Amino acid sequence: MDLNKIEEETVGRPGMTEIPLIRLADVSKVYPLESGDFTALNHISLDIMEGEFVALMGPSGSGKSTMMNQIGILDVPTTGELYIAGKNVARMTKLERTHMRRDTIGYIFQKFYLIPLLTAYENVEYPLILKYKKRDTTGKADAILNSVGIDRVMSAHRPTQLSGGQQQRVAIARALVNDPKILLCDEPTGNLDRKTGYQIMEILVGLYEKGKTVILVTHDPKIAEYAKRTITLEDGRIVES
Amino acid sequence: MRDIFFDLSVRSVRLNFLRSMLASIGIVIGVVAISSMGMLGTNMQLQVKDQLSTGADTLVITNDAVRFGPPGSTIDSSSTSTGITKTQLLKIKQSAGTGNTIIPIYRSSTEFTLGSVNGRGTVYGLAPNDVTSFLTLSNGTNLDGMNDALVGSTIASNFNVKIGSRIHIGKANGSETRPVVRVVGIIEERGTSSDNVNTDNAIVVSRDWYTDHYGGEDQYTQVNVIVKDIDTISEVKTAIDAKVNKDPDSPVIRIQDASSRLSSITSTLSTMTTFILAIGAISLLVAATSIFNVMMMSVNERVQEIGILLSIGTEQGEVRRMFLYEALILGILGGCIGGICSLVIGYSVVGAMIGSTAYFFLPESIIYIPAGMIIGIVVCIISGLYPAWRASNMDPIDALRSE
Repeated sequence: MDLNKIEEETVGRPGMTEIPLIRLADVSKVYPLESGDFTALNHISLDIMEGEFVALMGPSGSGKSTMMNQIGILDVPTTGELYIAGKNVARMTKLERTHMRRDTIGYIFQKFYLIPLLTAYENVEYPLILKYKKRDTTGKADAILNSVGIDRVMSAHRPTQLSGGQQQRVAIARALVNDPKILLCDEPTGNLDRKTGYQIMEILVGLYEKGKTVILVTHDPKIAEYAKRTITLEDGRIVES
Repeated sequence: MRDIFFDLSVRSVRLNFLRSMLASIGIVIGVVAISSMGMLGTNMQLQVKDQLSTGADTLVITNDAVRFGPPGSTIDSSSTSTGITKTQLLKIKQSAGTGNTIIPIYRSSTEFTLGSVNGRGTVYGLAPNDVTSFLTLSNGTNLDGMNDALVGSTIASNFNVKIGSRIHIGKANGSETRPVVRVVGIIEERGTSSDNVNTDNAIVVSRDWYTDHYGGEDQYTQVNVIVKDIDTISEVKTAIDAKVNKDPDSPVIRIQDASSRLSSITSTLSTMTTFILAIGAISLLVAATSIFNVMMMSVNERVQEIGILLSIGTEQGEVRRMFLYEALILGILGGCIGGICSLVIGYSVVGAMIGSTAYFFLPESIIYIPAGMIIGIVVCIISGLYPAWRASNMDPIDALRSE
């Protein structure tokens, strides 16, 4: 993958709107602790446009994961406002937030987090069932698995029977199957060897090229180089964007 | 199409098969306890009802010796009487109307000796023509001579009584000066009859023989009125009551019909059945604790999985449903095994305790098996409510972080 080529393509990509897909407006997240309040995010304001490839970097405890949880609507800000696809998250009901997680956001975790009781195929089919309340008869789950390099034989296996790289491919397929606008990748290569890690990054770059908004949390500067934009956090504040 | 949450629950139960089975055993025991105890109680009621239906057309009149009248009143001479007097009998005959049969009966407990074997039973004093109006002989003839006697089926079989056998009446004293009766007939088995004449373990003698040896002439233990038309039984009862119990505050006789006796006995048996069912329910309570424990273990072991489900967009209701399915599966497993065991164990218990399984497959008895199964399943679902609620209300971030 030619990183310069990605940069050239991203600038002025057709179809990109001026309204940010993700907007954090003066967002703070404070955790009350026995020893006193801990501010994980401190008055963060940030816009991420549709189709961007953003890397979130920073040392441990800088607030990367907290920001990912906010953008992923797994948590809500203590103060400030968060907009996803134009909707104010704080004003959404719990069920609406659940549906937005299901339909708008695809999660890729460092530890893959596949459902151990389901096969690879069923793991990918699962979000479709959540959305359409029925089994996949369109072959979409199979097609997506195929696109990330998991064949039918492999897709019949349980997660524990797959290698780390294969599990992450299945996790990517699961994240993509409902065609979300945003892909949240939390250290997606953290549990993989370097070669497999690069293969996974190639897949993510391919998705970015197809118009997905990819937000990547990483410690690895080499991995961060794949992104078009890098945001560095320190002590809950953006120090570089 | 199978629900994916049901599939997940089935797989979870399979994964922890032994633990799930052990939890289900609690439900099996609970279902067996409830079903078997319920069937036992019902079979007892059915048998008693059936036996008491013999003599349903009979009014049983006894002296109201236990009644002492309203507070402050003194004991009336008639109410301390030991039996129905001649005058009262006459009034009963007058008020009972025509066509109905009036049977004065003497009764006492006694010891007796048949051959060299001693026994204990009841002696009834009856007029010979009254015997044929409500008793059936399986062998021999009716009372004729002064010393003739009829014996009940239990005495006949236990003492190997034959026509012509002699019975010494009274307590054995070694001198053999006791009166002797000769068996001329054997009465057909009656069981527990609602006319309060239980002849199976009894000796029936003539009224004259009875009063000669026990005294109490014209002091009848009870008077039975067999009504010709059963629909008039209440009217006859009211008429006799009005004629003999002139002062309603101090009645001198008590009149019972089969229905009141039956309802009194079935009410007692029903209370007993409820009590034994409550004992069975305790075992289900223990089972509920066990299911609750297993469900909580299942939730605690699957915290990360719950976190994954919630984070990728599973609704809280869907997570709840998954755990309730698991409880339902445990309930269905326990309920079905319990139902099959109940059929076998219940049949054995009823046979052993009551001595007859004639009523076992009647709907009012067998209904306890599906009822027990449903109760078992419902108990499982109730036990799974809190664990399911807890799972669905987990914070996805905390759940994902758990190891």
